[in-house]
Amino acid sequence: MLAAAFPSLIHGALVVGAVLFVLGLVGILTRRNLIVMFLSAELMLQGISVSLVAWSRYHGDFGGHALVVFVLTVAACEAAVALVFVLQAFARTGRLDSAAWQSLRDTEVPRRIDRELPATDTVAPVWPRLTPSGVEPARDDSAEPSREHV
Amino acid sequence: MTLPDGATPLLLGSVAAFAAGLWLLLPSVQRAGWLERWSSRLGVALGAAALAGLALAGRRLGGLGEEAVFQIVAAVALVGGTATVVTRSPVYAAIWFALALTGVAGLLLVLGAQFLGVATIVVYAGAILVMFLFVLMLAQPTGLAPYDRVSNEPLLSAVAGGVLLALLTVSIGRLSAEPPACCQVPSRADAVAAAAAPARPADPAALDADAVARLGAELFGRHLVAVEAAGLLLLVALVGAIAVVSRGEAAESAERGAA
Repeated sequence: MLAAAFPSLIHGALVVGAVLFVLGLVGILTRRNLIVMFLSAELMLQGISVSLVAWSRYHGDFGGHALVVFVLTVAACEAAVALVFVLQAFARTGRLDSAAWQSLRDTEVPRRIDRELPATDTVAPVWPRLTPSGVEPARDDSAEPSREHV
Repeated sequence: MTLPDGATPLLLGSVAAFAAGLWLLLPSVQRAGWLERWSSRLGVALGAAALAGLALAGRRLGGLGEEAVFQIVAAVALVGGTATVVTRSPVYAAIWFALALTGVAGLLLVLGAQFLGVATIVVYAGAILVMFLFVLMLAQPTGLAPYDRVSNEPLLSAVAGGVLLALLTVSIGRLSAEPPACCQVPSRADAVAAAAAPARPADPAALDADAVARLGAELFGRHLVAVEAAGLLLLVALVGAIAVVSRGEAAESAERGAA
């Protein structure tokens, strides 16, 4: 097996970590829901964790592993404090929208206005479909009125 | 050492397909009519092409990228991560993030970090994600909010992400197969240990055998002060979160009293 012969070939893990980081970056830049923005930040942390462990394997020591332990710790703290702030922001505006706070922007930045945003969703929501259990028996409408006992 | 022949174009093509698929999948209402209808299918197709390209590049690269288990858990992590970012419903995004976490935990296990793989599942999926879901259920109004159906500058962000990913991929390709001996800075503890035993086990199986014990020794030896600081940080975050909530409630009741 080639992997055993070259234990330090970690390009694959580094590429996966980079992709996860970029996904989180794009998410935090584009999405407007505060909760989804924080999920994207956590995704970036996951990409960093994968890269750190890969580097640890490359160098054959445990420094990367120890750093990932601290990443986990700081992520837990960050999530606790950030979610408190998100809840406070929601209590003030009634929305989880980051654009609800655009009165805090710089003076030369133009105000963002949602144009052509339909009131209802244009894409129909996809709900989970449950397989019906059992089969409904075929109803015989002509026999129905002549039934004696209900 | 550079990447083997054909791996770099494959990787860069995958990155381009990934960025284009991400742009198509991101929520938006301002696309042209035909693109609006086909954007999700086209985006999924481009994403699948990017995944296939990455898998092929992994086979060319050799090493870890060639193992089937690694490819499967990497695909789970990437699909989950992409869906987290592009799903409109935040609750579904959180569930997809749980899938991405499962994939990342599998990646950590494959890389030989057993403790971290288990800790990712326990701490992230067990605690942090459930906290996110609690906040969502507390705060999300009924139905899909309008701001979940649009995104800020999806095209620019996808292009920027693609460029950054291409740069990272190219620089990863210049990595040598073995770590250079010049850049290993031994700590004092390592130098002491190196006198007794070889510091770097040549066989990764030996690295995996007592990984948890060695991680514990590393944490409570070299990083003891940092571990204490992390514990202090957790305490401060706990107290701070409670303080912010109680002060916010006090301010609200004061406002109500004034009104």
